[in-house]
Amino acid sequence: MSQGTQTTFGSAGTMLNGRYMAPPEDKDGKIWVRTSALVQASPDDLYAMWHDVESAPQWQESIRQVVRTGAKTSHWIMGGEHKTIEWDSEILADEPGKRIAWRSIGGDSENAGEVIFEAFPGSRGTMVTVLQEFKMSKLTSAWETITGRNPKQAVVENLRHFKALAETGEIPRNQGQPHGTRGVIAGIKESLFGEKTPTPAGQSKAS
Amino acid sequence: MKAVCWMGTGKIETQTVPDPTILNPHDAIIKVTRTAICGSDLHLYDGFIPTMEAGDILGHEFMGLVEEVGPAVTNLQRGDRVVVPFTIACGNCFYCKNKVWSACDNTNPNAHLMEAAYGYSGSGLFGYSHMMGGYAGGQAQYVRVPFANVGPLKIESDLPDEKVLFLSDIFPTGYMAAENAQIREGDTVAVWGCGPVGQFTIASAFMLGAGRVIAIDRFPERLDLARSLGAITVDYSHEDVSVLTAIKDLTAGTGPDSCIDAVGLEAHSTELQGAYDAVKTAIMLETDRPSVLRQAIQAVRKGGTVSIPGVYGGLLDKVPFGAAFGKGITMKMGQTNMHNYMKPLLDRIEKGEIDPSYIISHRITLDEAPEMYKVWRDKKENVTKIVIDPWK
Repeated sequence: MSQGTQTTFGSAGTMLNGRYMAPPEDKDGKIWVRTSALVQASPDDLYAMWHDVESAPQWQESIRQVVRTGAKTSHWIMGGEHKTIEWDSEILADEPGKRIAWRSIGGDSENAGEVIFEAFPGSRGTMVTVLQEFKMSKLTSAWETITGRNPKQAVVENLRHFKALAETGEIPRNQGQPHGTRGVIAGIKESLFGEKTPTPAGQSKAS
Repeated sequence: MKAVCWMGTGKIETQTVPDPTILNPHDAIIKVTRTAICGSDLHLYDGFIPTMEAGDILGHEFMGLVEEVGPAVTNLQRGDRVVVPFTIACGNCFYCKNKVWSACDNTNPNAHLMEAAYGYSGSGLFGYSHMMGGYAGGQAQYVRVPFANVGPLKIESDLPDEKVLFLSDIFPTGYMAAENAQIREGDTVAVWGCGPVGQFTIASAFMLGAGRVIAIDRFPERLDLARSLGAITVDYSHEDVSVLTAIKDLTAGTGPDSCIDAVGLEAHSTELQGAYDAVKTAIMLETDRPSVLRQAIQAVRKGGTVSIPGVYGGLLDKVPFGAAFGKGITMKMGQTNMHNYMKPLLDRIEKGEIDPSYIISHRITLDEAPEMYKVWRDKKENVTKIVIDPWK
């Protein structure tokens, strides 16, 4: 696949030969989400941070633990208060400083994803684009139960956390602050505001 | 500690709540020595800003003493006296690097809410709804300040709190409003609203070279303060006064070079359009009452500038965009890029060019705050600015 300013690479790419490429549409029981962020760090540093899968719990919501099980494989545990799910993941493509693609290889989840790192024009930083695919199944509903978020939104929030951690060394949070007496619909409001999902710890090894 | 809590539209209570703690590496805890009620807090009180929750601690104008710092805060230590800007900025994202601090990418934990409403999220704010970050505010005895390595301004002189407190919002906000008005030496500037932000806008317009400032309000105590700064005042509550005619009369029929809307979404109007907006907002067909914005666009001269420090939250009706286009005007607006203005304005205060405490009319305790929200909302007791001592 050609590279340069007129084409973004990988299946997560947003351009091909100067033409905008729309993200894949949900179909055949699969849902897709593509999201991107502009990050003030080098593609190499961001690639290294993403590649360090064992540090994923620091910035990915509801991921309890990731253990490297081989050169290209890892075991993932996601959990909330009452439920956990586990799966294995394998890296399919690995281009240092540019791209990582992965898929699950058994367990409670069928998912696949890709992240690409590209310099944005005008020295504005690195454009990080994530494409994530989920097979609609018990997983996605368990995912929603565990994370309190629609899985599509969870991908968006995780990239946001990744960017904040890379740029500032922490993830902004409001959980754990003092407040006065909450009303009877406080739980509903917390869900509406997306404040039920615990904000990941954010203490990066890299920072 | 004691804190002023929003408990629903028109309902404020001072409650005893847990003390804040350090939650992130760049946090600091500030012991609040002075805080204030802002005109924009009245938008929360009146239920105009969505995503508030019962129990939310209010307040975004505050200063105090550093009580504790997180492990990554190296520029502050316990005992430092600081003024804290109401916008929270990380200092490292594209926007902070380009000094557009109020657009910071990394300080709103609930950015998705603002993205849904506005397309993209601005910075987090203290005590100003969950959409704006859900951060606990500073009308309290202690407050947690995120990114304390970036925002708080150290006060190293012995100026009293009251002279520097307004660097937390309204003085920089008024100054940026005047800067956004693109004032050139000798310009005529019209300012709608002579509340606290309007006052500092008028003072800043003169600092930036305005030759004539026209100040519009209906409360005598505010108009008196505006005249004390050298402005010509127009009291629109007088039956025989039309604001647009008054402005033409005072500008040789050409209109002001710049018009500044220091009122925002809850504008009051004696004209027919006031009744129109009151009805439409009551039945939720309109979220804001933009009568001042309409006047400002109508009044400004051809090729002039409209600057908007007043807060707008949602959807506006019948904004005369044809007039804006027809005259080729420039409009500038937005939350204040606080961090650009705090130090230069502190220097002006230290040099004695301005004493911002002149607007203070009431000094109260935290326990008196709920009642004073009501008094100020109803524009009673000649309130011009309320300052709270959280330890009395």
